[in-house]
Amino acid sequence: MELLGNAVLGLGVALSVQNLFYCFLGALLGTIVGVIPGLGVLAAISMLFPLTFSLEPTTALIMLAGIWYGTTYGGSTASILLNLPGTPANAVTCLDGFPMAQQGRGGVALFMTTVASFFGATFGILLLMLFTPVIAEYALRFGSAEYFALMLMGLVAASTISSGSALKALAMVVLGILFGLVGMDTQSATVRFSFGILGLLEGISLIALAMGIFGVAEIIMSVRRVRTADIDPETLKLKAIKPTRDDVRRSWFPMLRGSSIGSFFGTLPGTGPSIAAFLSYAIEKRLSRTPERFGNGAIEGIMGPESANNAADQTAFIPTLSLGVPGSATMALMLGVLMIHGVAPGPNLITSQPELFWGLIMSFWVGNIILLILNIPLIGLWVRMLTIPYHILYPSVLMFICIGAYSSGFSALNIWMVFFFGVLGYLMRLLQFPGAPLLLGFVLGPLMEEHFRRAMVLSRGDFMTFFERPISAVIMALTGLILLWGIWTSERGRRVETETKPADAEEAGGS
Amino acid sequence: MFKADYTDVVGGALLVATGLGVTAVSMTSYAVGTLRRMGPGMFPSILGVLLAFLGILIVLQALRKPGRRPDIRVFSPLFVLGGVAAFAALIAPFGLIPAILGVTIISSLAELRLRPVSLILLCLALCLIAPLVFVYGLGLQISLVRWPF
Repeated sequence: MELLGNAVLGLGVALSVQNLFYCFLGALLGTIVGVIPGLGVLAAISMLFPLTFSLEPTTALIMLAGIWYGTTYGGSTASILLNLPGTPANAVTCLDGFPMAQQGRGGVALFMTTVASFFGATFGILLLMLFTPVIAEYALRFGSAEYFALMLMGLVAASTISSGSALKALAMVVLGILFGLVGMDTQSATVRFSFGILGLLEGISLIALAMGIFGVAEIIMSVRRVRTADIDPETLKLKAIKPTRDDVRRSWFPMLRGSSIGSFFGTLPGTGPSIAAFLSYAIEKRLSRTPERFGNGAIEGIMGPESANNAADQTAFIPTLSLGVPGSATMALMLGVLMIHGVAPGPNLITSQPELFWGLIMSFWVGNIILLILNIPLIGLWVRMLTIPYHILYPSVLMFICIGAYSSGFSALNIWMVFFFGVLGYLMRLLQFPGAPLLLGFVLGPLMEEHFRRAMVLSRGDFMTFFERPISAVIMALTGLILLWGIWTSERGRRVETETKPADAEEAGGS
Repeated sequence: MFKADYTDVVGGALLVATGLGVTAVSMTSYAVGTLRRMGPGMFPSILGVLLAFLGILIVLQALRKPGRRPDIRVFSPLFVLGGVAAFAALIAPFGLIPAILGVTIISSLAELRLRPVSLILLCLALCLIAPLVFVYGLGLQISLVRWPF
């Protein structure tokens, strides 16, 4: 058993006292960073990056990776209790996690998402160990046309999730892509839409955008509406975290499906945990016999996405470690750590540095067990945040948002971006446009443009390239089906709602 | 209740204006290129047209359905955003502590109710916690108090 031998080798590396300590430190910092809204994983990793220069490359990676998957655990806490995604990957958890908290089931939601996170991560690590060579080889066949088609599919699928109109969601995707284009164009070095502001050369900060649209706008909508008295003190007791048998029964399949989706999308550059979580939510909602429960505290709506984003966190390492191609900004940082320590990333990494590769992978197991221990006893601590009156909570959250935005780049411009996106987010709430598709479009926009342009160069300007290449054609066909399905179901849903609830026709009309 | 959904009409119209604006700027300021060799203006031009098209569809849909007056608030956005703006304006010249006081005091006015004791306690707590966490804990290079003049 070669795999078993490798696992034992890796475990030996991961369980050394030094690596164990840094794994714990990474997981703890990650959880804290994930819980504090406004302090993103990118900012945290970049800040702690210089501290790892003196460490062994394996130890440095173990700690930084711990921060990365720790934030996803912690991020769900902020999503559920504050309706503020701790990280973009937890944004979708707000949709059902926050209603659960409002119904006094916040403790159950926190406990169950921790379980889902652990389940998803375990699933992802297993796949990472078993299929790294296979998936790497498969991903090698992908060209720009395939990547573009895949991103298009993700965006179209994401637009059909939001309970509102599919048209509005698609419009927000397009707007998000446009925001993503601000800054220096990588291919021609032209600066676009910077309006003469020098700091916009590097583009709009993702953290500022997410915090403005999800954080500031939500606070504006909640002030003078949230009443502390609404919270049932019963949820604060430890027994309130115990899920019902129904909760457990409903969770198995969403966790399995979420882990599979997460593992798949985690491996693909440009997709990753956020899109995996969104897709998992979309699939759970569509498969459910009672889709109307979604958005009102359906446990499936948190179990699927939370296992998906954690599985994706783990499998995101597959392209980074096997091909040397980072799929996200965080993975690019990880790759940077490797190169600074003199390790050449690429297909040879697994054979030339088996201690590093298997040690890192086995540290994921260790780190996830640490996170499980860290999160479940601390649930009481997080739930207690609910008793803080909103007039104390929201200025504190705003302050964390401001410092978080400032800390990524140390420029007041980032805070002005938070301000701008706060205005936009409030406007979007007033006009009933969803924020999540905008964020997705923003993340995928630059990548989509790059692949679109590269595919068009390769095909000599022929649009048919997206339909002639077999893998791309299959993905494009799926995208078309998802689009038709989404429009059809939302139209049908509207008709049913209008017939049953004529009094709320104006609300149903928006869906 | 309105005969048409004016919220969506306004939203759609804003999208049409934004989309056309983006296309106009990209076509005039950046090289569009050809399909075979796309310039930096091509992709945003296409997206601008797409955005305007989606905006038109939203307006058309909105004209056929009844709407409700949206709940527009003035003071909540004013004070919350004012707090963020105060932080942005104060952090670089005056340092962290004045910026924290700015965002905390201004944004808490959004409650439209002054709680002097709890506000003072909150300010003290935040001015203590934030430097501990961010400056001493995480090692961010932010000066606590500065005087630029």
